[in-house]
Amino acid sequence: MKRVFLILLSFAFPFAMFPGDFVNRFIEKYSENERPLTNVNIGKTMLDRMTENTNDEELKNAFKELKSIRMVSSEDEEDSRYYYHKAHELVKEAFSEYEEMVSVNESNSKISVFMKRESDEQQDLILITIDNSDGFSLITVSGKIDFDSISKLSKSLKSEAGINSMGFN
Amino acid sequence: MNSDPIYRLLQKYWNCETSPKEEQQLRDYFLENDLPEELTHLKPLFTYVNEEQSAVPGSDFNARLKASIRASSRNRRYITIRVFTPMLRVAVSLLLVVGLTLSIYFVSKQYNKPIFAETYHDPNAAIKDATYALMKISDALQASEEASLQTLHYIDELEIDWISLGSLRETRTNEPNGDTVPDTDGGVIEKEFQQEDNK
Repeated sequence: MKRVFLILLSFAFPFAMFPGDFVNRFIEKYSENERPLTNVNIGKTMLDRMTENTNDEELKNAFKELKSIRMVSSEDEEDSRYYYHKAHELVKEAFSEYEEMVSVNESNSKISVFMKRESDEQQDLILITIDNSDGFSLITVSGKIDFDSISKLSKSLKSEAGINSMGFN
Repeated sequence: MNSDPIYRLLQKYWNCETSPKEEQQLRDYFLENDLPEELTHLKPLFTYVNEEQSAVPGSDFNARLKASIRASSRNRRYITIRVFTPMLRVAVSLLLVVGLTLSIYFVSKQYNKPIFAETYHDPNAAIKDATYALMKISDALQASEEASLQTLHYIDELEIDWISLGSLRETRTNEPNGDTVPDTDGGVIEKEFQQEDNK
């Protein structure tokens, strides 16, 4: 019995110590068949290939040192509200080491950005947002995040004619 | 010794009917040198026991005995360790848990990439969602910046007299006790407020 306990402990302890990836935990814990979610995962290899393929310097700068981009979204209004609150619950429960960087609470949209900075080369960002047009979005970005390049993205991409055809405002 | 009784004794010996005394007689007989030729081949059989009984310890007997005693005392020390075996098991288990934890920590720190399946195989398809994700973050940062500017603008519209508030704080910090305003300092404050009223 003691052996079984110790073996279970040896497996459980490392996982208890490290909460793991936010998106994985979120999907495991809260995803329901009745409330469908869309999930997109882009890893380091794909980001490197995207950096090579694009001619947009702003995008290149934004992508080049990222390790992953993951997205979970829902367009249904009620599901979006449910998942928005659950995402905040998960941050409080298991990802309390993340600092709240941005919190905007407006009538038609709510935005929360949480961040954990491990080193100059490694930051983890969680964006939780809900708005009337797009519904719920949970986005995590990992790697060396160049905020200057990212904050310039909207201006440069919105000014391009092609952005509307990509479905952005 | 006459050889006839020996032949009888031998016959009894082969039939397994000899007594210990008779077997001793046979052994004594075969120790003699003048044996009949037909019995010489039996000499090793009966002299074997006597030869073995006359064996003496070798010259290294004492050294071997001491080594054996040392080995047995070493075994006793091992038995002492075995008393703590349950403790050792717990210690080894904890060591394994800590080792495993540290390994996972360093491996996860080194690679630091979440485990997931790539959604796209084509970078041109992936770039749309990646750009969308970064745009969302960019919008969030800009919304935060705008909200901060709006807050500052709102505070600015309140037309708070920061100079008077600053002077008031300076005056209060210059107070000797910090509780009451002396007459002289009170005059200074009154004067500043009057100046603001004139504006």
